[in-house]
Amino acid sequence: MTNQYQGNDMIVAKNIDKYYPNGCHALKAVSATINRGEVVVVIGPSGSGKSTFLRTLNQLETITTGEIIVDGINMYASSTNINKLREEVGMVFQNFNLFPHMNVLENVMLAPMKVSKRKREDVEPLARKILCKVGLEARIDNYPSQLSGGQMQRVAIARALAMEPDVMLFDEPTSALDPEMVGEVLEVMKQLASDGMTMVVVTHEMGFAREVADRVLFMEDGQLLVDDTPESFFDNPSHPRLASFLSQVL
Amino acid sequence: MVKTSNNLLWYSILFAILLGLGYSIILASQSIQYTWRWERIVPYLINTEPKPILSPYDGTVTVSANADAIMVSSDDGESAFEVKVFSQLEVEDGDQVFEGDVIASLSEWRLGPIANGLLMTLKISIVSLFFAVVIGLFVGLARISSNPILKHLSMLYVELVRGTPLLVQIFIFYFFIGTVLELDRFTAGAAALSVFAAAYVAEIIRSGIQSVPVGQMEAARSLGMTYVQAMVYIILPQAFKRTLPPMAGQFITLIKDSSLVSVISITDLTKAGREVVSGTFAPFEVWFTVALLYLLLTGSLSWLVNKLEKRMASSD
Repeated sequence: MTNQYQGNDMIVAKNIDKYYPNGCHALKAVSATINRGEVVVVIGPSGSGKSTFLRTLNQLETITTGEIIVDGINMYASSTNINKLREEVGMVFQNFNLFPHMNVLENVMLAPMKVSKRKREDVEPLARKILCKVGLEARIDNYPSQLSGGQMQRVAIARALAMEPDVMLFDEPTSALDPEMVGEVLEVMKQLASDGMTMVVVTHEMGFAREVADRVLFMEDGQLLVDDTPESFFDNPSHPRLASFLSQVL
Repeated sequence: MVKTSNNLLWYSILFAILLGLGYSIILASQSIQYTWRWERIVPYLINTEPKPILSPYDGTVTVSANADAIMVSSDDGESAFEVKVFSQLEVEDGDQVFEGDVIASLSEWRLGPIANGLLMTLKISIVSLFFAVVIGLFVGLARISSNPILKHLSMLYVELVRGTPLLVQIFIFYFFIGTVLELDRFTAGAAALSVFAAAYVAEIIRSGIQSVPVGQMEAARSLGMTYVQAMVYIILPQAFKRTLPPMAGQFITLIKDSSLVSVISITDLTKAGREVVSGTFAPFEVWFTVALLYLLLTGSLSWLVNKLEKRMASSD
């Protein structure tokens, strides 16, 4: 997609509300801006709506009211092609969701070839380069079932990166991993952050938030309560609910 | 304690049971004084009987010098009948023959009625199988669609077809739809079988698609794939693998159900069997043969699907 938009705000969410069909009010007037090159970490207790919020940013969940603008394009405008928009927004899931019937290389190359209609010989060097970057060049011919959790999540990151997105969304990327594999995934994410990728990360890894994030958001009960720099977020919690949450997890 | 040490014992008991079953069949046939005449079945499978070549009219025979052609010139001198392909000469040069006399015989292998029936069953099964999968795929996809028209029409289809007997559907297809659309009996029979099997295939495909985790669709869509691309590249290949075992069962059922088309006078294996019984008065042999041939078809299909399943298991 050729997009001339050069503004500093990559994603703007304005007053979004989300009701599930069962009546559950998952998001309540959430507004947030994610700037280009910024790493934003979203923290909150389970059921606080942080995953729902993340999933609205590439329309895996639709919103009930409000506005989401990605790279200058209003997601809900009738002229918007959501598939085109999603090419710009990579996503990494808690359960990896690798395609089990394809090997690692095919997993990474599928979307560039089928969605962007690029030739195999153009895509393969790119896919190999990205897999090398996440440390899996030796696993190219393996099927997902032959990989460890940490390796699967790194393939999932590579798969999203192969579309060369402008922004990456991470939905609790380390929550389904055995503790000894969390590090290798976080390392790849840190590397990505230092390369200047715009990232929105829902996680329970407070260490990652403090070390890598430019801003940290705190959500509870569908509301965005705190939007702060990591230093003051962790050291001087500005909201009593955040203070009690932090005292429980830290 | 090692359990496997008893295996030899169990296998010998199994063997004894099978032997006993076979012997009881022999005893049973003896008790009704039935004489088995298996040799009577053979010509109905493969006919090796020489085919006689008859003279078409009264005339005189001329056999060529190296005996590779026979010519019959009619007595009125108006026509000549030449035979070049034969295996046994039955006349001599200069013989007078009458219309209908055997002048030569041709020995060749021809398929008997049972073998032809087997081919018909194979043909109607393959045709129905193909259309059942095509229709079933569309109905299965419509069944999980969010569009109310597609969803309810496909549900209605599945309920109607599953709720009525196949035999009745074959009659409806042949007598009603076949009359309206002027279908021949093969088309009507194949259509009835396809439509019937497709309802079951649709349910199998639907459950196969729904058994693929939701995350697969989400991952595919999040990469920018359209719904159709996600279905084709991600969901259906996985669903196909999961549906292979129930699908194999459905295909085997289809082959067996094809015996019902004999009611609209399609000469399939079952109808051929019935005809041969009335010609040979050897019902036991014929029906055992027919059963064995059905088993041959279903068995090779099972074997094929089994191989496919093993091949697709490579990514597990």
